[in-house]
Amino acid sequence: MEIPHFFLTIEESGLSMWVRDNPFWAILTVHAVGMAMLVGASSIIDLRLLGFASKVPIAPLRRLYGMIWAGFWIQIVSGLLLLIGYPTKSFTNLDFYLKLILIAFGMFATLKLKTRVFSDPNMSESDMMVKGKTLALLSLFFWLAAVTSARMLAYTYTNVSYPY
Amino acid sequence: MNLPHLHLLLNHWPIIGTFIGLGLLVIALIARSSDVKQVSFTVFATMAIASIPAYLSGNAAAEAIKKMPEVGAPLIETHEGAALLAFGALGITGLLALVGLWQFSRSRDVEFHAPAWITTAVLISALITVALVSVAGNTGGNIRHPEILEKGSPTSAIAAMGASWLLSIRYFVIDYSRWVWPVLEAMHFIGLILILGTVCLLNLRILGFYKALPVGPLQSLLPWGIAGLIINVITGFMFFIGMPFFYTDNWIFQLKILGVIVATVNLLLFCSATFRSWESIGPKEDAPGIAKLVALTSFVVWIAVVILGRYIPLGAPN
Repeated sequence: MEIPHFFLTIEESGLSMWVRDNPFWAILTVHAVGMAMLVGASSIIDLRLLGFASKVPIAPLRRLYGMIWAGFWIQIVSGLLLLIGYPTKSFTNLDFYLKLILIAFGMFATLKLKTRVFSDPNMSESDMMVKGKTLALLSLFFWLAAVTSARMLAYTYTNVSYPY
Repeated sequence: MNLPHLHLLLNHWPIIGTFIGLGLLVIALIARSSDVKQVSFTVFATMAIASIPAYLSGNAAAEAIKKMPEVGAPLIETHEGAALLAFGALGITGLLALVGLWQFSRSRDVEFHAPAWITTAVLISALITVALVSVAGNTGGNIRHPEILEKGSPTSAIAAMGASWLLSIRYFVIDYSRWVWPVLEAMHFIGLILILGTVCLLNLRILGFYKALPVGPLQSLLPWGIAGLIINVITGFMFFIGMPFFYTDNWIFQLKILGVIVATVNLLLFCSATFRSWESIGPKEDAPGIAKLVALTSFVVWIAVVILGRYIPLGAPN
């Protein structure tokens, strides 16, 4: 497959060179912490709705959506920077698109859960669990799959203009 | 002090500690003492943690001593095999002891004795561990002490078994398939999420965030974090066994392991009777200063462990 010239243009830009130069590992590290915030907070809500740690009250867990959004935006910013550094490596890897789709599904399930379970403050905990069970399972599954596919990016790329 | 020196300093601890832990457990059973039993369990859990740096520094000691003409490579390989088995046994005993400590933390009864099944399991596991650490200690001593060697090459069937397991693990991680390492990495990240998600939520609550949540019930999320810790210790050691040269002299890795030790000892405080006094902190209530100190340490060190872990490739020797 021919690599679009566009990727090479990005890679020659100042910002791209800056990313590859020294902050690359720092950005990657921020990306790992953002992942823990986003997926960690979502998973806690999911696990609780699936019946684990049943003494934890469900309603206050709504506050974890702040952590989820903070993690999400950290991922968007750090992810975009990594993408500017290595566009060829990512865009020529099918696994990268799979990862984006899985994140979209994970985010969708997690947010859908918020409207379904956390929007009515008078809902009983057992109703919350019944209403949230399927979405919690889906959210957990998609985040696990997203993390796995993301980790695989380091081992599945075929084209890289600037190996590190 | 260098790494081989560190190995010599650390390797006696898990051996002597296991004997002391077993002695304390026997005393606890005879005296029917709840307190002594908790001390014994704490010793076992701490020794499992102490065995991590003892095992890891062994590779540096082996590299340093291999070059000396009077030292036989078979003696070192035998010891490595015995050490792997001892390390595994220490881990299992430590984990069972942690389950026991957990039950102490959940009970409000000061005279609680932990169920018989967990005490029995710790006792049996500790007996096996005592045998295996003894083999590890003996085979280790043989490397540098020809005066204690019997005639002919000393053999230990147990150590030989451990040595063959070590080779199998290395083959599996490195040569079996190019996908083993990536899958282990993915598992290591999922373990990271489990640890950070559960432990840090409890930490943040104690520090005063998410105050609508009561502190006690958040503890029941910790088994997920401990499951993450187990996944990460196992996958982490598979990485180490696969490519010891990449990690042994890597200062970032060494610092990370120090962080893991501090953070796991810290985690023990949340999983033992120490937690009883924090258990009843309800919604909107403030935690005491000592709980905040423990929570802050835990939070900062776990984040540092993730950062250091991500930077490991930069610390590898060329």
